[in-house]
Amino acid sequence: MEMMVTQHEEIANEVFELTVCGEFPWHEIQAGQFVQVQVDRGYTHVLRRPISIAFVDTKERLLKLVYRVVGGGTAQLSQVVAGETIDLFGPLGHGYPLPKGGSKVLVIGGGLGIPPLYELSRRLLAASVSVQVILGWSHASQVFWVDRFEQLDVPLLIMTNDGSVGSAGTVVDAMATLPSAEFDQIMACGPKPMLAALQTWCRPKSISGYVSLEERMACGIGACTGCVCDTIHGLRRVCADGPVFALSEVIL
Amino acid sequence: MSSIGSTVSSISSVDLGHVQIRNPVLTASGCFGWGREYSAYYPLNKLGGVCAKAVTEQPRAGNATPRVTEVTAGMLNAIGLANPGLEVVLTEELPWLAKQDVPVWVNVAGADTGEYCRIAEAIASSGLAAALEINVSCPNVKQGGLAFGTDPKVLFELVRQVRQSAALPLYVKLSPNVTDIRPLAEAAVAAGADGLTLVNTMRGMAVDTKKRIPILSTIHGGLSGPAIKPIALSMVYQVAEVVDVPILGCGGIMSGTDAVEFIMAGAAAVQVGTGNFSDPYQAPRVAAEIEAWMNTEGVKSLDEIRGCIH
Repeated sequence: MEMMVTQHEEIANEVFELTVCGEFPWHEIQAGQFVQVQVDRGYTHVLRRPISIAFVDTKERLLKLVYRVVGGGTAQLSQVVAGETIDLFGPLGHGYPLPKGGSKVLVIGGGLGIPPLYELSRRLLAASVSVQVILGWSHASQVFWVDRFEQLDVPLLIMTNDGSVGSAGTVVDAMATLPSAEFDQIMACGPKPMLAALQTWCRPKSISGYVSLEERMACGIGACTGCVCDTIHGLRRVCADGPVFALSEVIL
Repeated sequence: MSSIGSTVSSISSVDLGHVQIRNPVLTASGCFGWGREYSAYYPLNKLGGVCAKAVTEQPRAGNATPRVTEVTAGMLNAIGLANPGLEVVLTEELPWLAKQDVPVWVNVAGADTGEYCRIAEAIASSGLAAALEINVSCPNVKQGGLAFGTDPKVLFELVRQVRQSAALPLYVKLSPNVTDIRPLAEAAVAAGADGLTLVNTMRGMAVDTKKRIPILSTIHGGLSGPAIKPIALSMVYQVAEVVDVPILGCGGIMSGTDAVEFIMAGAAAVQVGTGNFSDPYQAPRVAAEIEAWMNTEGVKSLDEIRGCIH
């Protein structure tokens, strides 16, 4: 699908926010799903880049993606300007299952795992779920979208590894300060070591929840089986069986 | 079997002898699963054929991740023949795919000759496949795969035995990781192959300079995509000079004109593999582009241009 780029700006060091509008299955999107973005109309970069959907406005027919420039493909993507079109398709994968109204969810994000949690938090609140958020980055230069999360008006803890913004420490450090009774489940997204630390912390307390994983992908739709992850039920495709998996099922 | 996909009034239809296909575009093994995922994007009967993922006797998990990575103008894969195994393929995957109104090539991989033969026989007995494609080329599998595809005598014996085991048209998918592909093509045909697929992936690797390690867990993988098109084309051209059986050209086909290059070099038809990942509609688009090219050039049948550059 060709979509029109209406905004594209750097929001943190090497981190970009891309807004696109146009034809898209707007009413089928779940928080936690992703799109496969073409980054090259030529053949230098033949694979698409899977980027989580960070924000959806169904009325305005627009969505936002937030990504980090990590190589040639994302570098090329970052050169696209408002007024140009890009080719992407989706929504792909399974998003976070929304719990019943009245539930209490702790949303935990690290670095570039944070963007999809913004759309998730909005949908949880719309479903009358009570939400607390802990976000962590390595350093001030990486921080983005704090104002957006603040506008959700939910308990919010900001962590940076070095304390350059918010409190010093990791999201797991922050989590340890919260009484467990304050939430029914966690929903997380971030680097694998962060998710593994969360799982280790949650297991003895029997805290359940969902995490979103990532792996290098080719097709993005489940055909090539490049992006598998290990679960207690065997290998699963992150793109088609995930990217969201139950915390109790993934082997990190 | 030859009636599958044969309501062919398309100008780009191809007669492979054992089956008539509606257009020259098949999908390459490993790049299309068993068809279910891409069938959500278009009906599979837009294709000339589907070559399904390799099947082994036992289920295989494949290699540890990362097992795919992009490289300039292509990608590397070290999937490692991950598949649910023969029983699931026979009871679930193949029956579904066989109902999609498109001829199915079943790709077969084995650790030894006996395994290839047993799988071939089972697929043939199912009556659900149009043809077999034996995978002798996978550079990812440490047991046996590389040896079959690089030694003409070993390849001859394998093809001869599979030929005897299964009453189905038999294609051999050759490896480009050889000094001279012609003796291998000749050996396969002498042993009874009905067709050849040229080519599988080329051995390659990539390095993560930040982490200072190879990107793939297996270090080496198979290179595919536009980067290998000149290699695949050259091999199709060479092999077309020494064999008479249909050749399925495979290697970096992204457009109708790419496919036409292979047909002019001598291919009967083509396979689109990595291209499917660039665009889920790539394969039917290539088929449409071939027809558009034929109409623009006044070519009424691909027979007019097949091998025309020789």
